[in-house]
Amino acid sequence: MELEQALFHYFQFNTFRKGQREVIDSILSGQDTIAMLPTGTGKSLCYQLPGYLLKGKVIIISPLLSLMQDQVEQMKALGEKRAVAINSFLLPFEKKQILQQLDRYKFIFVSPEMLGTELIVSKLKELDIALLVIDEAHCISQWGYDFRPDYLKIGQVRKALNRPLTIALTATATEEVRHDIAKYLQLEKWKEFVFSVDRPEISIGMEIVGHQEKQKRIVELVESLEGPGIIYFSSKKIAEQMASKLRDRGQQVMAYHGGLDQEARVLIQQQFIHGQLNIVCATSAFGMGINKENVRYIIHYHMPLQLESYLQEIGRAGRDGKNSLAILLYTPGDEQLSIQLAEGEIPDREQINMLFHVIEQQQLSLTKITENEELFIRSCGFSETQWRIVANYIASRESMKPSEVKEKFYHYITERLRIKKEKIAMVLEYLQYRGCKRTFILNYFKEKAASVKVNCCSSCGLDLNDFQKNTNLTHANTQNYNWEQELASMLLK
Amino acid sequence: MAISYRDAVFLYCLKQIKDERSIYSLFHLFQGKKSSQTIQDAHLYKLTPFFRALPLITRIELETIVKEFVSRGFLEQVASENFVLTIEGETELNVFQKCVTIPPKFLEGWKYHHLTTLFWERLSLLVQVSSNLINKNKGFIPIQNKQETQEWFKKFLKMQNANRYELAEQLYIELTECLHQEKSIEPAVLVLRLTGHNKIGLTSEQAAERLDMTTTHYHLEFLNILHYMIKTVSTMRNDFPLLSSLVQDVQKEVPLTLSTEKTFQLLDKGYVPNEIAAMRNLKMSTIEDHIVEIALHVKEFELNRYVHPDIEKRIMEVASKTSAKKLKQIRDQVDGANYFEIRLVLARNGGQKWN
Ligand SMILES: [Zn+2]
Repeated sequence: MELEQALFHYFQFNTFRKGQREVIDSILSGQDTIAMLPTGTGKSLCYQLPGYLLKGKVIIISPLLSLMQDQVEQMKALGEKRAVAINSFLLPFEKKQILQQLDRYKFIFVSPEMLGTELIVSKLKELDIALLVIDEAHCISQWGYDFRPDYLKIGQVRKALNRPLTIALTATATEEVRHDIAKYLQLEKWKEFVFSVDRPEISIGMEIVGHQEKQKRIVELVESLEGPGIIYFSSKKIAEQMASKLRDRGQQVMAYHGGLDQEARVLIQQQFIHGQLNIVCATSAFGMGINKENVRYIIHYHMPLQLESYLQEIGRAGRDGKNSLAILLYTPGDEQLSIQLAEGEIPDREQINMLFHVIEQQQLSLTKITENEELFIRSCGFSETQWRIVANYIASRESMKPSEVKEKFYHYITERLRIKKEKIAMVLEYLQYRGCKRTFILNYFKEKAASVKVNCCSSCGLDLNDFQKNTNLTHANTQNYNWEQELASMLLK
Repeated sequence: MAISYRDAVFLYCLKQIKDERSIYSLFHLFQGKKSSQTIQDAHLYKLTPFFRALPLITRIELETIVKEFVSRGFLEQVASENFVLTIEGETELNVFQKCVTIPPKFLEGWKYHHLTTLFWERLSLLVQVSSNLINKNKGFIPIQNKQETQEWFKKFLKMQNANRYELAEQLYIELTECLHQEKSIEPAVLVLRLTGHNKIGLTSEQAAERLDMTTTHYHLEFLNILHYMIKTVSTMRNDFPLLSSLVQDVQKEVPLTLSTEKTFQLLDKGYVPNEIAAMRNLKMSTIEDHIVEIALHVKEFELNRYVHPDIEKRIMEVASKTSAKKLKQIRDQVDGANYFEIRLVLARNGGQKWN
């Protein structure tokens, strides 16, 4: 019962959720562990609780800067002051300050690109590390939908740190990916836990609608379904358009995307969590690290780029265990947009030609690539994502001849694009599949079909009436605003 | 169709610079570019309030607005990047200004651009934390997540002698007092944005919509109210001990640009511009830019170390008579004066008067 007591002491929960207990037991018995837990089942607790029970530091490698920031904020909000994030958001003096006092912290989040710097690694070496956590560990695999070349460095760093006790966490990973995780982390012996990706409380719907009718259909859905809900888009612009259209119809809705400033992002997330917003029209930037229990529906306006990310996104519904709905709106031809997006994320041949042309012309050494970041971004027109791929690829091949690197790089991007296109083709196959959608997804993750009896998916039968709004709330937003009263309610007791 | 608030601001600024400056000088002004040229122009054309007032503006937006003005007959092109207001443009602007003050009364972009964001971040964090403290709510996400701001805040909180209830009440008293003092401001512009223990503040976009303002109008009103507060609390420290302490640790004067600072130090040690240019391996014209920036900033600047009093007098005569701001016109009429001297005299006299 000791573990339950600790759970209550640190998190005020009475019971573990599915899978948590087994994973935590495995870590506490000193075993390297790979755990695949579905989104929304409290992955972070799997390292936070052992962290409290083990003596020493917990190092967490996390792929997304915004996600990392969220996690640190959440830990701080729960009263854990010894959490810190080391990433490229830090100003030089902040970084220096944190590194000087690194020993003061218990939970240290590190972004993967930081592992490339000698200074960070040598600082980490000085620490007494109880647990190394690789979050979103599928990023280590080329087969993973979110491959990050930086993650390949983790194995080396792990070795340099004397192979501390390690846990790799992921929400979605096929067998191939799990194999890659063990290989690249250089695990020798490990325990693997795979919990079903199935979330029976989420009904999986799909509708084919004409291009012209999509927005109209969204309005219908939003006006009839019980909220709160998230609508995902691939395009910032359309997310904004839709949000403003819905707002005009009286919905409490905002768009959320990478183009917003930091303050607006925090405010919109918090408004949604506090129930001041009923709907968020989001790009994939939204949702990672957001703990909102009562999301009732997830709508996809555009088709996702991979089944893996689709599963993560719909997994944000129904964390309270109540019935929830996922609906994907598909217009034949949408896959063209997906392919365009995938191509845009990867540098193209012309850009690579230009890159090596500039390198040759300026007689730059490959070791000086990152120092000339601005020059390359400008002259080759790289996006941020593209540049990250370029810088990473070249950084690990500095000692090779540029012409050789160029050839290999061609090959590399061709391969990356092929994988991405395969993923898109898989989503398309899923959309066109006439059988049970849930079974299709489970099979994709090498699981057997589970049986959900009512409202399983749109193929098995799905009655949207079961997800209707009970009452039609009208928001009285027109009352006069009294600023003095508002201030008083904030600051006077 | 009546002109929008944003239109009026742009027309106002275009009117100020006449055809003497390129439209892109406004781009630098709105972005708050810290170059000697931009800083000088801001003073010369009385546009200091708008310094860094619209930092998100892009070149393309600016070009679009100008093109639109031309097609609506408000602007006339006189050179590739220079325009003048037509009579129609002037009229539209005048009509608009009868209802709305441009620039907003307290807007002081140049004077406060380095304090504005800081003051807002600290104030909003103070309100949020105070509100959560008195409601005994520990689990909240700070709406300002810059490490700098949070570190400052921790120290700030430690230095407070009052307990949480006194602190929150003091904050309430100072805020209401400050916001009541000035009738021309709309406190909701600020308060809608604040986050408390059970209510998350609005984004600027939401607040604008709520108050039925365009985003540009809202943004400038927001800056206006912040600048009003900074000014008020720092001139009446005794009345606003808590609010004034939010910016106490920051340098009140606008800092010189880094390169200019170096030149300034060398001048102070007695080096002459030629020597400095050689020492620093910079062009003479760059050093001259620095000196003009210093003339704008430093009260103790001795103009006559660089310009003979007679020449200064003649330059001022011509400048005031013709109201010409084009350096060339002045030079043509003042024998023996060079551009550097003219810029320096204008910077000094303009700057002093308008600061
Ligand atoms: Zn089914």
